[in-house]
Amino acid sequence: MAEEEKKQERKKRRTATEAASSIGAMVKAAIGGTVKAKEEGKKLAYSFIVCSYDEIIRAMDVVPVWTENYAGVCGAKRDAERFLERAESQSFSRSLCTYALCGLGFDQWREELGEMPPDAPWGGQARPDFMLSSGQILCDPRNKWYQAAQQYMPDVPIYDVGLPYPLYEDDIEVADVQDYYIKYIVAELRGLVKFLEEQTGKKMDYDRLSELVDLGERTWNLIWETYELRRAVPTPMGTGDAMNTMVPMVFMMGTQEAYDFYLDLNKELKDKIARKEGVVEDEKYRLLWGGGLPSWFALTDFNYFNSKGAVFPVETTYRMIEPIYRLNMPDTNDPIERLAWRWLGYWTYWYDKAKKRPGSEPDVERLIQYIEDYQIDGVVMHEAFSCRTWHLGLIWQLNQLRKIYKPIPVLILGQDGKKGEEKRELPSLILESDIIDISTYSEVDTRNRIDAFIETLEQVRKNKADRR
Amino acid sequence: MNEQNSTVMSKVERYYKDYGIRARELKKEGKTVISYLCSLVPMEIITAAGLVPFRIRGNVNEPITKGDTNLETIACPFIRSCFDLSVKGWYDFCDGIVIPHGCDSMTRPYSTWRYTLGLPYSHFINVPHTVSGPSMEFFTEELNTFRKSLGRFAQKEIADSDLIEAIDLYNENRDKAKALYDLRKSDPPLISGTEMSKILTVGMSLPVTEANELFAEVLEELTQRKEAPVHKAPRIMVDGACIDNIDFVKLIEDSGANVVVDSLCIGTRDYLPHTDVGGDPLDALAHRYLDKINCPRTYREKAEGAYEKDLTARFGDIGSLGKEFKVDGVILYVYKYCDPFGFEVPARKAYLDSLNIPVLYLEDEYSAGIIGRLRTRIQAFLEMIE
Amino acid sequence: MSDYFAGIDIGSTMTKVVIMNDGIISSIIGPTGPEQRRLANRVMENALNQAGLPFDAITYLVATGYGRINVPFADKQVTEISCHAKGVAHLFPECKTIIDIGGQDSKGITIDHGRPTDFVMNDKCAAGTGRFLEVIAEALEITIEACGGMALKSKEPAQISNICTVFAEQEVVARLAEGVPLNDLVAGILESLASRISRMVKRLKVANEVVITGGGAKNAGLVKALSDKLGYATLVPPEPLITGAVGAALLGKDIVQKATKNSLPLERKKRSLEEIEIL
Repeated sequence: MAEEEKKQERKKRRTATEAASSIGAMVKAAIGGTVKAKEEGKKLAYSFIVCSYDEIIRAMDVVPVWTENYAGVCGAKRDAERFLERAESQSFSRSLCTYALCGLGFDQWREELGEMPPDAPWGGQARPDFMLSSGQILCDPRNKWYQAAQQYMPDVPIYDVGLPYPLYEDDIEVADVQDYYIKYIVAELRGLVKFLEEQTGKKMDYDRLSELVDLGERTWNLIWETYELRRAVPTPMGTGDAMNTMVPMVFMMGTQEAYDFYLDLNKELKDKIARKEGVVEDEKYRLLWGGGLPSWFALTDFNYFNSKGAVFPVETTYRMIEPIYRLNMPDTNDPIERLAWRWLGYWTYWYDKAKKRPGSEPDVERLIQYIEDYQIDGVVMHEAFSCRTWHLGLIWQLNQLRKIYKPIPVLILGQDGKKGEEKRELPSLILESDIIDISTYSEVDTRNRIDAFIETLEQVRKNKADRR
Repeated sequence: MNEQNSTVMSKVERYYKDYGIRARELKKEGKTVISYLCSLVPMEIITAAGLVPFRIRGNVNEPITKGDTNLETIACPFIRSCFDLSVKGWYDFCDGIVIPHGCDSMTRPYSTWRYTLGLPYSHFINVPHTVSGPSMEFFTEELNTFRKSLGRFAQKEIADSDLIEAIDLYNENRDKAKALYDLRKSDPPLISGTEMSKILTVGMSLPVTEANELFAEVLEELTQRKEAPVHKAPRIMVDGACIDNIDFVKLIEDSGANVVVDSLCIGTRDYLPHTDVGGDPLDALAHRYLDKINCPRTYREKAEGAYEKDLTARFGDIGSLGKEFKVDGVILYVYKYCDPFGFEVPARKAYLDSLNIPVLYLEDEYSAGIIGRLRTRIQAFLEMIE
Repeated sequence: MSDYFAGIDIGSTMTKVVIMNDGIISSIIGPTGPEQRRLANRVMENALNQAGLPFDAITYLVATGYGRINVPFADKQVTEISCHAKGVAHLFPECKTIIDIGGQDSKGITIDHGRPTDFVMNDKCAAGTGRFLEVIAEALEITIEACGGMALKSKEPAQISNICTVFAEQEVVARLAEGVPLNDLVAGILESLASRISRMVKRLKVANEVVITGGGAKNAGLVKALSDKLGYATLVPPEPLITGAVGAALLGKDIVQKATKNSLPLERKKRSLEEIEIL
């Protein structure tokens, strides 16, 4: 790699919060920690984020190896290409999920060498003792990735946890189907406990699990309250930072460390709000990151938005929590059942709201809620070519948003003192690249699009001013 | 080939070219047509409700245009084509759509389909990813939800006896499909791969009783064929996701091979498995659609963590078809952006290697315009295995 | 009278004709570009003139390459995969792996006794073919021929992150403006191309000897970069463009010999130099 690029990489991205800037070291320590844990004889599990099994793994003292995280780290360090190429040489199509390709390329290399590949980012990804797949509505690769990895590690067993949730339908209420969904999810999670007991040779301590589930629920509530602080004008924290502060949420749920992290963040945001300290000095446009995983190698694009006076007080991506007390969870002391209800509650959280607005749909309803709560001027999405999970349906959501949200009038008081009414104009921008495949990214092209978008926002504002 | 003189084959040809012609006629006669995607929707339940099931097909000769304004181009190109034709009104005789949880490409945009088409009925069937006691129980409940929902729409309570009757009709259809496949065992085969693809695709556009009649006519005529419609040539199996156009099979046959069997939808994967009879009909349907349809979207681990043995559990059916139909080579045909199949390519290749069956892996984009670029690869493969 | 065998390899940019009896007696390379697409027959004509033979003297003629389908005077069509295998094995009997880098496609072939055992091909994306180099060379205002030598002079090849030809073009122009030395940029481009080809070829079971053919083989910088990426020493034939045509001629010879031995009839086409319609 050219010297100048190395320098660029070392230069740290500017974050608005201290909390976000502390994340890099945290992730590095966590990845290094898995390698160390392996040497200490602890059991390691390849795991996927957002699978409702965090507290179970923690209660069993199993060390999760978050394979999506490691691929993201390779991407952020702009060092994913050699692993992607290796996967491609194994006959995996480059059009597949690049997280998985990166992980498979890495695994194949590590297994071939019998040690970490040369200069593996942050010490490398440790060999697991078992792998926890997840069969959900969410993501095909979660069901296929580890099975493909087994080709290089035939001795490493898999447990596939089924985690469905019902899709939004006109003629069916969640209440009509939730009993058999919960029954199935509970059976799957109990199957996981049994699998882990067999693999680790120890019994689940259900009191401890209950404590961790309590802690997890408190953390959910705390994150929600903390993120809601970002409604403030100027906003004290943007999506660029949130792409860091998601780390304890999705990689450390059920740990005291995660809870403490959000306590600190909460305090930091409150202090900033008190001092009226925003992400940018002169906040001009408030944007919603309305969908899509970020390009991990190009998080500085958020700084570029900031340089134009645009901030992101809210995002749908990685906001994997809702306030527990609003999830309609029944009273139960069984921690496994609580995890199942939390799973179902989270994914169907917006269904009731959607039913109330004709033509709406849960994902669209969520966008509308955020647009109103956070006083949003425009929506930005990212379409990562290799990930169908998070990136199919986004265009339609924007179209539908335009269709059903337009009639909402905003009352204004004109300069002449007359009351007027105007329709919300909400420009949107879709960026196109990938999560970690840098070869599809063009900085010039991306920034041109951002410039054009900012000009549109300016024009919309000017039109409004002219009408007053 | 005496296709021109054959009335039944020209009927097949007409139904293939004007796909949905019968459903459109039935709609005019006052019938209700329910469209669906993928092989995981139990057609038996739709038939039992007294409705006409109709499988949505893509078209490799129709460029994808209108669909792209509402569905991302990173979706599976086959699904994109299905969506494009639907929004262009090709299937405007349908009253409803049923989408199963096959893969991300059909599941994630469920709302996109539902709202864009704006049909009176829509339903999503959640298919679990594993085959186990709890998942089978869940899936049976999920099929029951579908049965009730569709019953409300059809204003008919779907009784067990209705289901049993439909199951018998579809099992009859599967027997006939099997008889058609048997005609391909001789060398040269008595039916070309291109003809077979047409017949099987057409079958998915008809009410099952009509499909049964058509297959019976085809069988009667083909068993009387004096000579094979094709010459002796390398015997090829096509393995892959969903092929609902003849163009690819025709390209292989034009390159000098006979396609004698497949491991595909529309093909052996969805046409051959029977539904068990005698027990609870819904349980039997759940068993067929979750366990018997061997699609990589469902995780299969039968040998308890032993990867090598799992290969046989996962792909054994491909191996036995290869043996039964005496294939000389396999063409593994996978669409770009197909995560369920894409992640299996090395494993499928390794499995076929272990059986000493030569395999050619091709990635394609579901477009007749560029399918020709595969010609050289196919010809080179045939030269290689000759 | 001795038998003559001809091979015509119609590629997307060049048409190659070889006439053989015991050895090569004539070989001609001429353009097939968009303007000359009907002129492939001229190359045949030139080869016959060079050999001093009437067309009727050719016992058997095999056409190969992208334009093989519509050669009216060819007795048989065989894919370039089989022809390269045959031709390269004739020149390098120990060869196990062939990498052919053409103008619009690139391919890898593993061979055993002159027959292909497996192959991979890229013809979909310009980035892994000679076309990539052509576009970049144009953007940098240098000739393709100069690229190889320039790259070899570079001590620190530039890192080119974009694979897509259009993006890569933007990138090199921007990097040039930043002051990255031209030699380093060219070396970076060749490394990027080599990496693209190498990861395709690695899908095969690569083994020694590795032979590189096609227009790309004439680029010393690319050959070196490819050897480095693959981790194998590579060999280049004296004329890397004609291996497909040589193989075609040799396959024709095999066909005739087999037919003679088994007293089978040989199907042959009329020897008239009609225009070739290349699709």
